Parts: sequence; C-alpha cells; structure tokens
Amino acid sequence: MPFETLLGAWVATGLTLFILTFLYKDNPLFKLAEHLYVGVSVGYTVVKTYDTVLVRLIYMPIAEQGEWSLLIPIGIGILMLARYFPKVAWLSRIAFAFIVGVGSGLAIPRIISSFILKQVEDTVRPLFYAVEGGGVTFTVDLMDPASNLNAVVLLIGVVSVLFYFFFSVEHTGPGRAVARTGILFLMIAFGAAFGYTVMARMSLLIGRLRDLIVFADPQYGRPSLWLLLTTIGLLILWTTRQTERSPDGS
Amino acid sequence: MTFAERMLRIDRRIIFLLIGLCTLLPLLYPVGLAIKVSPEVRSVYDKIESLPAGSVFLLSMDFDPASKPELYPQAIALLHHAFRKNLRVIAMTLWLPGTGMAAEVISQVADGMGKVSGRDYVFLGWSPGGSSVVINMGQDLYKAFPSEYFRHEPTKDLAVLKGVRNLRDVSYVVSLAAGTTGIETWYVFGKDKYKFELGGGCTGVIAPGLYPLLRSGQINGLIGGLRGAAEYEVLTGLKGQALAGMDAQSATHFAIIVLVILCNTFFLFIQRSRKQADQR
Repeated sequence: MPFETLLGAWVATGLTLFILTFLYKDNPLFKLAEHLYVGVSVGYTVVKTYDTVLVRLIYMPIAEQGEWSLLIPIGIGILMLARYFPKVAWLSRIAFAFIVGVGSGLAIPRIISSFILKQVEDTVRPLFYAVEGGGVTFTVDLMDPASNLNAVVLLIGVVSVLFYFFFSVEHTGPGRAVARTGILFLMIAFGAAFGYTVMARMSLLIGRLRDLIVFADPQYGRPSLWLLLTTIGLLILWTTRQTERSPDGS
Repeated sequence: MTFAERMLRIDRRIIFLLIGLCTLLPLLYPVGLAIKVSPEVRSVYDKIESLPAGSVFLLSMDFDPASKPELYPQAIALLHHAFRKNLRVIAMTLWLPGTGMAAEVISQVADGMGKVSGRDYVFLGWSPGGSSVVINMGQDLYKAFPSEYFRHEPTKDLAVLKGVRNLRDVSYVVSLAAGTTGIETWYVFGKDKYKFELGGGCTGVIAPGLYPLLRSGQINGLIGGLRGAAEYEVLTGLKGQALAGMDAQSATHFAIIVLVILCNTFFLFIQRSRKQADQR
C-alpha cells in the first residue's frame, strides 16, 4: 500500500477520534484537531485560489493567448486593495460600486422571478373550474388522495400561516382558530426540518464510523485500534492532571 | 428522587454511547432492511435513463468534505449511472474546498468503468464567482473554464465537449449541494435563463427548503441525504456506501424515537406527581 494512503488513514483516524473526544468534555486533543481543521482549510483555500485564479485564469490566458482584456477586471479587483492605504482608500469604492451594481442587477430580477413569482404561481392552484354550458367541476375528490387534495392542504396552510403573521388584528374568536392552525402547520414544518437535520447528523456519524471500521483493517496497520487506545490513555492522563491541579475537578 | 427524575437527569454521555452503539453495531453486522424508492429520487434516475448515449450530462459537486458522508455516495451513484449510459459527463464544483474531493470521485469512478478523461468525461475544477460562473457558462463555457483540471488541456480541444458551446447544449444538470452556492444558484442563474433540465441532490439539512422547488417543477427531482443516495443505489443496482449505512441510520432513528417517547413519558409522569403532591 502506498505510503501516502497509510499516512492519510492514520491522520484521518487520529483526527476523527480527537474530535469525538469532545463528547466526553472539552480537552486539548479536541482543540488540536479543531485548530488543525481551520488551518488546513485556510491553507488549502489559499493555495487553490492562487493556482486557479492567479495562474490558470489570469497569468496563462494573458501570457499564452494574449488576452489583454483581462487587465480591466484585474484593475478593478486591485482597486479593492486600496482600502489598506488610507490616502487612496476611496478608490476601493469604485470596485465595490461595480460589484454591488452588477450583482444587484443580475440577482434581483432573477430571484424575484424564481422565488416569488414561480412559487406564487405554484401556490395558486384552482380548486374548481367552470365547464362549458354552465356549472363547475371540482378538482378535489375527498375519496381519492391522488386528486388535487394537496391543493386544499396548501390553501389552508398558506392562509393560516400568513394570518398568524398578520399582527394588525387581534387573534381572538375565529381568528384565534385560524392562527392556531397556522402554528400547527409551522410546527409540522419545523418538525420535518428537525427530522431531516437529525438524519443528516447521523449520516455524518455513520461516515466517520465507517471509516474507522475500514481503518481497523490490518493492511492499514490497525490505526483505529492503536489510536483509540492512545486517545483514551491521553484523556485519562489529562483528566488525572486536571484533578490534581484543582481538587474539585473543574 | 424518583426513577423518572433520575432518568431525566441521566448523564448525556450515556445517551451519546447508546447512539454510538446503535450506529456501530449495524455497520458491523448489517441486516439489510428494505428500502422504498421515493418518486423524487426516481425522477432523477428516469431522466438520466431517458437520455440517449452521447448526451451531455453536467454534474456540479457543490459541497466540501464536511458533507462527504451524504453527498459522496450520491456522486458515485450518479456518475456510475451516467457512464453506464455512455453519456458525455462534464463534472465541476462551485465550492473551492471540495475541488480535490470532486476530482477524486470522478477519476475513481471513471477509471473503474474504463472511461477516459477528455474523451468520455471532463473535470473542469473550480472557478471563482458562484452565480457568475453559471451565468458565464450559460454564455460561453470555454470562457468560464478555459482549461480542464487534470492536465490543464484547453477545453476547446476536448472531444467530450464537441458541439457544446454553453449550458443550452447540456441535456441534464444535477447539482449536489450542501448549501448555497448550489441547486438554487443553478436554478436562478442557469435553468431559468438557459432552459436546461435541472435535478438536485442535497444534504438532509437543506432538503426541506428545496421541496418547494420540486413541487413547482423548478427542479425535476431531488436526492435527499444518505437515504436518497441509498435509494439511487437501489435503482442503479450499485451496492455502495449509502446502502451499507441505511441499517445504522434506521437503528439510530429508532433509538432517538424511543428516547423522545421515554423522555416525554417521564416528564408527564413527573408533572402529574407534582400536581398530585400540590393537591394533598
């Protein structure tokens, strides 16, 4: 097995176990892993940004393909650095004005179209429609859940939740019943969100435990086993020293 | 102190241990519980299944290693399916910290299926800007990504991108997202303007917020969390990481439900005991 794979297995196992020690209590092993995570993430981001932006998107097109027009966005970008020099700090406003202007212009119409108009269009669904020659046909059949029954639930949900957030009228009498219905819908939404969050967090735990199981294999040198014993040993040592320093154990 | 009071003051580390065991034991001794495929996951599968060989499939892996347990299996299953259908695959990421991981997953699956970089697939890597990248790709894919990731070959010369000028030439886009930038960005700045079909895969945390897009048809399907990945693996017949984790997921959910019921029962019991004591 390649050395880098082995090293990766040992580092991943060690850091996973160090992070999991937080479940016992805050300790130096957890802090070490936490700080490493932050440091490595920032280092990785800096290196990848340098490689992708400065080398591949700026230097290579200019030096190899002569795309000198790139100097315009580079110039605007450099103006941002003027903030570090008080005498010319005002120049950075040009760059920010450009970003805010272009960003708003691009985002506002698209977001209104996507998240407001499209959602309103989907929410307003007919419960019945007129037929030729008079009369109406209902789109909902209470005996058939596959019919437009969801539209009724949607109607009640949207109206009651909107009414709950309508504070100009006191929620008394029939209004109280509508507001309570709104709360019920909100609670169901919060419950669904929480359930999904629990599922997501458990998935993360499953991912880490699955890796620990894989790295318990002899071909990796059983890092899970050895580092688990080492981590427990270090935790016991740290707890003992803490207790000796402060007899109440705090 | 009554039994109920003692139970409600139980050391939280005992609960951590219980949840840990409920996760670990099914991983060590899987039982293979049945998995029902949801319509939203099937929609993504059906869309890829309906594409003729040679169609262009774009997979944007918009997540970082923190979401690997949920989204990595989704990426493997989707790539497996796309390569099996002989689609031309364009892979990329809008998340800088996920670049290395995205490169690993595409090369791993492609190598396993005998696919060649530049001919059958291309990994474009990451480009700064988020929504600007999507807009740029909609106008000119080669300006957004002048070169591919692995050997820095000019994208214009790649056989896999023959006939592809921008996002309008892409048959199907799937964004695997752990937040923003992700599915919403692809919809707002991509699909809504350049009219391609869009599907999504996401972490469990953001899934409830994306269901309104699914219902309104703004995305055609949604693979939610590890569970969604397992469903996709069932559809593709792939025995992957997600399926292996489903027993553990079910066991931990069962343990949490039992704990919630027990805690509420103890709480109500204590409340009733206190009321009775006050009446006396």
